[in-house]
Amino acid sequence: MSKVKAKRQSVSLDMTAMCDVAFLLLTFFMLTAKFKPEEAVTITPPSSISEKKLPAGEGYLTISVGPTGGIFLGTEDKIAKDAMLERMANRMGITVTPQMQKNYNASELVGYPAGAMRQVLGMNPSEVKAQGLLKGIPLDTANNELFLWVSYAKIANPALKVAIKGDANSNYRVFNSIVSTLQDQNINVFQLITSPEGKPK
Amino acid sequence: MAEISQDGGGKKGGKKRSKKASTKIDMTPMVDLGFLLITFFMLTTTLAKPVVMQLNMPDKTEKDEKSEVKMSETLTVIPDSTKVYYYQGLPNDATTQLLKTDYSNKGIRTILFDMKKRIGDNFTIVIKAAKGAKYKNMVDLLDECAITGNKRYAILGIDPSSEELVKKSGL
Repeated sequence: MSKVKAKRQSVSLDMTAMCDVAFLLLTFFMLTAKFKPEEAVTITPPSSISEKKLPAGEGYLTISVGPTGGIFLGTEDKIAKDAMLERMANRMGITVTPQMQKNYNASELVGYPAGAMRQVLGMNPSEVKAQGLLKGIPLDTANNELFLWVSYAKIANPALKVAIKGDANSNYRVFNSIVSTLQDQNINVFQLITSPEGKPK
Repeated sequence: MAEISQDGGGKKGGKKRSKKASTKIDMTPMVDLGFLLITFFMLTTTLAKPVVMQLNMPDKTEKDEKSEVKMSETLTVIPDSTKVYYYQGLPNDATTQLLKTDYSNKGIRTILFDMKKRIGDNFTIVIKAAKGAKYKNMVDLLDECAITGNKRYAILGIDPSSEELVKKSGL
């Protein structure tokens, strides 16, 4: 009787199925992923138990408050964004060059005094950030530019809703003055953007 | 790598056959690349979408629309950066007692729960943020209102008499 040979198992693996899964997942993540826009300032919103998601697709005017109290304004509504530039440039007597328009479109947020507009729009957004020109929109009784920006956006698209994204450590007074500025414009409903938190039992 | 040639060198003296090209492709690098990209996209995707809490403020233009609130049914809460002051009644009344608590589960939440139980549906919270309050404190307090199921609250600016009360109490 011949010796029984240990059957040699093939180490070859069919990778095709695994490959299929990998690429299926890859396609899924690629299609659903949305790149985090580069933020002019890092804002950590406070947490709340609210479970309401910010509805995507609706027009929002987002007012951000940085940790040091700087106010920034952004919107995804293209028409409102263009109208904001056009009217503000008109007011400041600035002729918008195609290059300025391009830089404006590339930046997520508006966050500089209107006086610095020509200088800021002359540079691309990363340069502006590097030079620390994003000081925030002035908001005081003598020079309330937030009021102007918001009203320009509202003229272009009256259906815009207002969302406020404040940093947890920003002073409450900044928030308070934003709210009262908007109340003067008869905007009384605000969506406060917060990070999710577990509901206590 | 995954394909380890099993057929050895073949017999040396054998008849020469036309070499049959293998139809198997080594998929391993492709899978590697696939998973690398998946990992990248998974890490760059923001999973936690922010949530919103809606805040309705009164219309400034409508002067005549006022809701009557009894003093005995309100609680004035003054959030500060680390602590919360609260009192019932009028700030400039000599009998008004100012108390202090914190933002923990056992702090302002239990107070709001108790008041709500005692007073009922008409219980109104008046929020007057102190000068040193952070935005977070305000949101925390609004959150506490949501947790305790209080829909009646008003956000007001702090008045000098309330400030005086806080200062006087020394808490």
